[in-house]
Amino acid sequence: MKLNLKIWRQKGPSTPGNLVDYDIADVTPDMSFLEMLDVLNVGLVEKGETPIEFDHDCREGICGSCSLMINGNAHGPETGTATCQLHMRRFKENDTIVIEPWRAKAFPVLRDLMTDRTAFDRIIAAGGFISVNTGNAAEANSILVGKNIAESAMDAAACIGCGACVAACKNSSAMLFVSAKVSHLAQLPQGHPERSQRVRGMVTQMDHEGFGSCSNTGACEAACPKEITLENITRLNREMLRASLIS
Amino acid sequence: MLDSKIPSGPIENKWTERKFENKLVNPANRRKHTIIVVGSGLAGASAAASLAEQGYKVKVFTYHESPRRAHSIAAQGGINAAKNYQNDGDSVHRLFYDTIKGGDYRAREANVYRLAEVSVNIIDQCVAQGVPFAREYGGTLANRSFGGTQVSRTFYAKGQTGQQLLIGAYSSLMRQVGEKSIELFSRHEMLDLILSDGKARGIVTRNLVTGEITSHTGDAVVLASGGYSNVFFLSTNAKASNATAAWRAYKRGAYMANPCYTQIHPTCIPVSGDHQSKLTLMSESLRNDGRVWVPKKAGDDRAPAQIAENERDYYLERMYPAFGNLVPRDVASRASKRMCDEGLGVGSSKLAVYLDFQEAIERLGESKVKEKYANLFQMYEKITDENPYKTPMRIFPAVHYVMGGLWVDYNLMSNIPGLFVLGEANFSDHGANRLGASALMQGLADGYFVAPYSIGNYLGGEKLAPIKLEQDPVKATTQAVKEKIESFKKIKGNQSAETIHRRLGKIMWDYCGMSREESGLKEAISKIGALKEEFSNTLWVPQDDKCLSSEMEKAGRVSDFLELGELMCIDALERKESCGGHFREEMQTPDGETLRDDTHFSHVAAWEFNTEKPKLHKEALTFEYAHIAQRNYK
Amino acid sequence: MTSIKSLLKSSVGKKFLVGITGLGLSGFVLVHMSGNLLMFFGPEMYNTYGHKLVTNPLIYGAEVGLVLMFLVHMGLALSLTLANRSARPIAPSQLASSCEKSARFGSRYMALTGLLVLTFVVLHLITFKYGTYYPVTYNGVEMRDLHRLVIEIFKCPLYLIGYLFSMVVLFVHLAHGFSAVFQSLGLFSVRGCLIKKLGWAFALLVAGGFFIQPIYGYFYGGK
Repeated sequence: MKLNLKIWRQKGPSTPGNLVDYDIADVTPDMSFLEMLDVLNVGLVEKGETPIEFDHDCREGICGSCSLMINGNAHGPETGTATCQLHMRRFKENDTIVIEPWRAKAFPVLRDLMTDRTAFDRIIAAGGFISVNTGNAAEANSILVGKNIAESAMDAAACIGCGACVAACKNSSAMLFVSAKVSHLAQLPQGHPERSQRVRGMVTQMDHEGFGSCSNTGACEAACPKEITLENITRLNREMLRASLIS
Repeated sequence: MLDSKIPSGPIENKWTERKFENKLVNPANRRKHTIIVVGSGLAGASAAASLAEQGYKVKVFTYHESPRRAHSIAAQGGINAAKNYQNDGDSVHRLFYDTIKGGDYRAREANVYRLAEVSVNIIDQCVAQGVPFAREYGGTLANRSFGGTQVSRTFYAKGQTGQQLLIGAYSSLMRQVGEKSIELFSRHEMLDLILSDGKARGIVTRNLVTGEITSHTGDAVVLASGGYSNVFFLSTNAKASNATAAWRAYKRGAYMANPCYTQIHPTCIPVSGDHQSKLTLMSESLRNDGRVWVPKKAGDDRAPAQIAENERDYYLERMYPAFGNLVPRDVASRASKRMCDEGLGVGSSKLAVYLDFQEAIERLGESKVKEKYANLFQMYEKITDENPYKTPMRIFPAVHYVMGGLWVDYNLMSNIPGLFVLGEANFSDHGANRLGASALMQGLADGYFVAPYSIGNYLGGEKLAPIKLEQDPVKATTQAVKEKIESFKKIKGNQSAETIHRRLGKIMWDYCGMSREESGLKEAISKIGALKEEFSNTLWVPQDDKCLSSEMEKAGRVSDFLELGELMCIDALERKESCGGHFREEMQTPDGETLRDDTHFSHVAAWEFNTEKPKLHKEALTFEYAHIAQRNYK
Repeated sequence: MTSIKSLLKSSVGKKFLVGITGLGLSGFVLVHMSGNLLMFFGPEMYNTYGHKLVTNPLIYGAEVGLVLMFLVHMGLALSLTLANRSARPIAPSQLASSCEKSARFGSRYMALTGLLVLTFVVLHLITFKYGTYYPVTYNGVEMRDLHRLVIEIFKCPLYLIGYLFSMVVLFVHLAHGFSAVFQSLGLFSVRGCLIKKLGWAFALLVAGGFFIQPIYGYFYGGK
């Protein structure tokens, strides 16, 4: 398979970037999208050119490192799939593929397709936890959690923090990410004592990082590789109101 | 002989005894101690959070963008704990025994017992953190079974247990970052260990974004930098997983123990072509309901659905009726290899066997199977484009974990005072083969419940002189790191480190993989020597190293893998017995099982770096509580 | 109190107020639309309703409230929109290629449809509230003959089309806005089928109701 790639190249956070054309042959349908980029990079090194930088690690859709805008879609055309799980069989001979980094003020580009998503860590540090020191825990089965609640919390907790929701949102809003964490912990009894501080802290930090607000477009949900749902944003709003009005 | 500092007394009391003997640091004085933690996976994050909670100043370093991206996140199946919630006869003693036996009697008894002991606390801690473990309808915790055991003691959160446990540890870590008791350095890679008066006092790091080399000093260094399976290039490890932190510590004098013990996981998605960059694991939990088979006739090219029941060989059930599909990983992997060697393999490469869910779907219904394994089935389908609900999965063994690692004593301290090694980076608990769902257990046991005590004991008992950044040895070590980077730049060749890495991986897999023998290992050593030579003549790295460059990162890691690969072969050559994941062709029972040599090899082989030839130290292994025997899963 | 302050400072709280005021304004347009339908009961009924409405002393309070709601709604929506713009270094439209995974249509254009509705409201007030005063007397009471004004204005096809266009815009704004309010209030998810349908139904009802009067006016006046 032959492809034409248009890839965003940018030397550093403060230098301007642009799309550069690359032609690549010998792409096989079984290759993953990132393996296709590996092949391109090996070729670039052989020519003495600087290879393209992109974030990736586990390559099985769980670490949340990979982050590419592929033809305008966060993580590419398939639903519920991270870039690393996208395979070239989804593309056709002579396709043109545009590859860009996540775009958000809160995610500055470090180089080429790599961005800095540490804003997410700072949001977690502002409240995305249950304060329990090591050794403080009670016997596990003394806290009963209904099967459905545990599963619903697990669905929210499945977020991999990749930032596709931010990249897909026209406002670069981090609401889906924040809501997934709030939702995970607010549903569990263990998370109740701190629920008000948690949601307030996380939302304040989210605003402070320069993410936009939610316009309820649903683009985040469509882009999410773990299919985190908009219901979580509803729950976040509810938690925030509850925290402000009741407690 | 190495001193493992195991406390005296009966095994049930050893840990309690040690905790009491330990020296303590007054809470007000803890602030004055800085502890450096390298790695932010389960072991690193849990240790860092626990130490910061106690009041120490902690600095955490990770080459990842965020601690949450550490490779612990990819663990799927679960975490073991001797809770006996299923009332099926489990106990601390049974978990201890299963782990020792699973490790083919090459683990240190006292460590394993402690692991089993604290396993129950881990579950409590994780539940309190909000880890959404699977539950029964009544709200209590659910369990499933895993390989090498006959009880149900594995706790799980769908097929993403590692992710959930890591997020638990990560959130505790981030809480301390928010409280300013932990300073987090992300995208920083440790490139050397700073020793002063023979004690570990700091590290040298490269900022992966700016290329800046800096040194950081403290009173103790904790390495929780994971395993080195990527020496095989193709493994289930994440792409960036590497041996560099541990290897550079080895080069500074820390002993590397049992480097040849590698675990080959039986259920991975087979290689599809030369471009393959990594392998994907299918959780061992699938063997609870999946049945492994090959056609009875060699070269049978029919689609699996057309092969009738009586033409299939469910070989694990046939060979090991007691454990069936749930034999330990090394046993299952070798059996698959044997089938493929006999020409019974399936798929286009003939290097695969079937893992079939037909029977489970008929028994439980598709929805129940979906509930248990949906994300794994989906992952399989994405990669192979085949629907495992309709057609059996094709699986083949792949390198997954290393039991070997830096040598540590009972307190998890290496032979270098002040250097603690946790998680997969150390060698201590799994012997020659690790049981499923035990890696998560060990990482968290080390981090939450062992290291915080041991480090306090070390700091409480040592008088450490102040160490200054602008003086030797800090300056000299930093200089050495810079020189190494310069040496890569001087080569100006035309091969990427990855190209060489791929070739190293092939050598390792062919000669030091699922089975090893003397002449092959010798050949591997000479081939690696030649490859090292080639590396130092043909490597390409960018001339500008003051910026983000993954080529520069890989160059350093591959140079370490080349040296480590050689040591693995040396260790495998030295160990003239078969045990667990280390299978020497020369040493096997008539039906192809591992044959240990307890008279000559009941020891830990700990290697000391030497510019000429590594020097072997031994730690004797004695078994007082687990009755030593030939493993039998029949 | 501090928690409420911090709520109102946050994007979530602002969104919440935009929603609440939006809901209030939705109530207003519903009532307004119902009033318009009185036209079918003849000029007397229509004009008397208008007269009673403007002579009621409560009207001033209601008007102030309405203006406040409008200002809060617009002001906060504007501030959120500006923050959203700055959160995005490159507008989605400037990306090299367009997004295939869909976002809901109405949601993308709330600021635009909102501005168009604002323009319409200004013009609308000029034309009607502050338009020509035709007196008429029923049962000895003199009042404004709004009925006549309506017929007169909608005779002009250009005005008719402009008005109808504005109602389509209002429809788009309401169809998304109405259901999104419940999301912002944390009550229901916009993805829930029922709430989405309810949003559409409400928008259809209001915009449809507003459609009737000018069309009636156009044909009635043509007679």
